[in-house]
Order: sequence, then C-alpha cells, then structure tokens
Amino acid sequence: MTISQQFRDQIIAAIPGLRAFGLSLTARSDRADDLVQETLMKAWKHHDSFEAGTNMKAWLYTILRNEFYTQLRKRKREVEDADGYYSSKVAVHAEQEGHLDMADLRVALAKLPEDQREAIILVGASGFSYEEAADICTVAVGTIKSRVNRARARLADLLQISANEKFGPDANSEAILSNTYRN
Amino acid sequence: MVDDENKKKGKAAMPRKKIETMTHTSAKPEVSDLIGQRLRNYYNEVALQPVPDRFMDLLNQLEAASSPKKSN
Repeated sequence: MTISQQFRDQIIAAIPGLRAFGLSLTARSDRADDLVQETLMKAWKHHDSFEAGTNMKAWLYTILRNEFYTQLRKRKREVEDADGYYSSKVAVHAEQEGHLDMADLRVALAKLPEDQREAIILVGASGFSYEEAADICTVAVGTIKSRVNRARARLADLLQISANEKFGPDANSEAILSNTYRN
Repeated sequence: MVDDENKKKGKAAMPRKKIETMTHTSAKPEVSDLIGQRLRNYYNEVALQPVPDRFMDLLNQLEAASSPKKSN
C-alpha cells in the first residue's frame, strides 16, 4: 500500500484543528490528543476508503467524532457518569486557567448538550459550512442549523452577552460624535 | 368569569410565548458575532499551535510500517 505525499500533507495540515475539536469534545487535552492519535491511525489504515478530491478535513473530523462517541459509550458502560464527567473536568480545568474569558466559555460550553456543543464548534469555530457539519454529524442540515441556533442562544444567556454589548463607540461617545456633526 | 380567566390566561401566555421564541430563533447578529469571536479564540488557542512531535513521529512510524521497501 502506498500513501501519497499529498495524503500525508493533508493529514498534517488538519492536525491542529483536530486537536482543537477533540479538546472541545472532551474538555481534556490529554484525551483530545489520544483521540487525534486514534484518528490518524484509522485514517492511515483506511486511506483507501477516502475518495480523492472530496473533503479530507471533513473526513478526518468524522473519524475523530466517531472515535469520541465510541469511547464515550464504552466509558458510559464502565461508569455511569458520562453526563457529570464533562462538567466536572471542565470545572477543574477552568479553575486552573488564568484566562477568565476562556474559562467562562469552557464552563458555558460544558453546559450545552453534546449535540449542540459539537454543532456550534464545527460551524462557529472549525469553519465548516452547515452542510459539511451535517455530513460529519450524519443529520439533516436543518437539524444542524437549529442546534447551532439553540447553542448560540444558550451561550449568549450563560455568558450574559446581550445585544447592548456593542462594538465601536459606546452610547456616550456616539452622542458626542453626533453633537459634533450637528454643530 | 370564564371570559376573565381567558383574558388572564391570554395575558399570561404572551410573555411566555415571547421567551420561547427568543430561545428558538437565532441570536441577534451582533450577539452571534461576539460568541463566534470567543469560540474562535478558544478554538485557536489550540488550533494555532504547531503540530506536536508526537504526531509527526506517529506518521513517520506509520509510513515506515506501510512501506514495503523497509528492511526486515
């Protein structure tokens, strides 16, 4: 079996994103990297099931996601703590983290249901289209859209982000600006 | 009495319905932008790191194992 240089290069290019995706699924960097390792081995082994010319990045994310759920199911059988697992790990990690903004977001993400979390990460951070995310999660595009919308609304609520939090000049400087115009 | 109750119900149902629609429709564009930015920051914290040696080593191993020309 020969593996093309291009295949290898594309895998390498995808690794940083895969690690980030893995971390957002597991909330643990060691577990995320184990998922990436498993993904690379599977991708290598099944390289001939990848159709050249199709979306390699999406293919790899699909493998990682499948691996994550396989492991999650195993762990669920071992300990009936799969639900509490993510939240508790995140809480510990968030505390250790100095970055307040980031810690807030992690805790908020942990409160989302799994399906909403992966949807908002794939579309909102990994740069996949709704269609690609739907393929990766093997659901309809409409389902992904509604999961992303619900995730956004919930995150906005948890992070207490309101429409008042605007970019650019605040109300005061806006008033000054408009005054300047008038005079 | 019944009418009054219906009126009351109608009034009470309104705000509840409003909350429901709020959570089911997408967030306002500027809110989405803000959340999107924070998600990308979170993601990029890892996604912008260089590929760890561990994975390059793994790929080299896989490549060596699958190459038929390696000496046995």
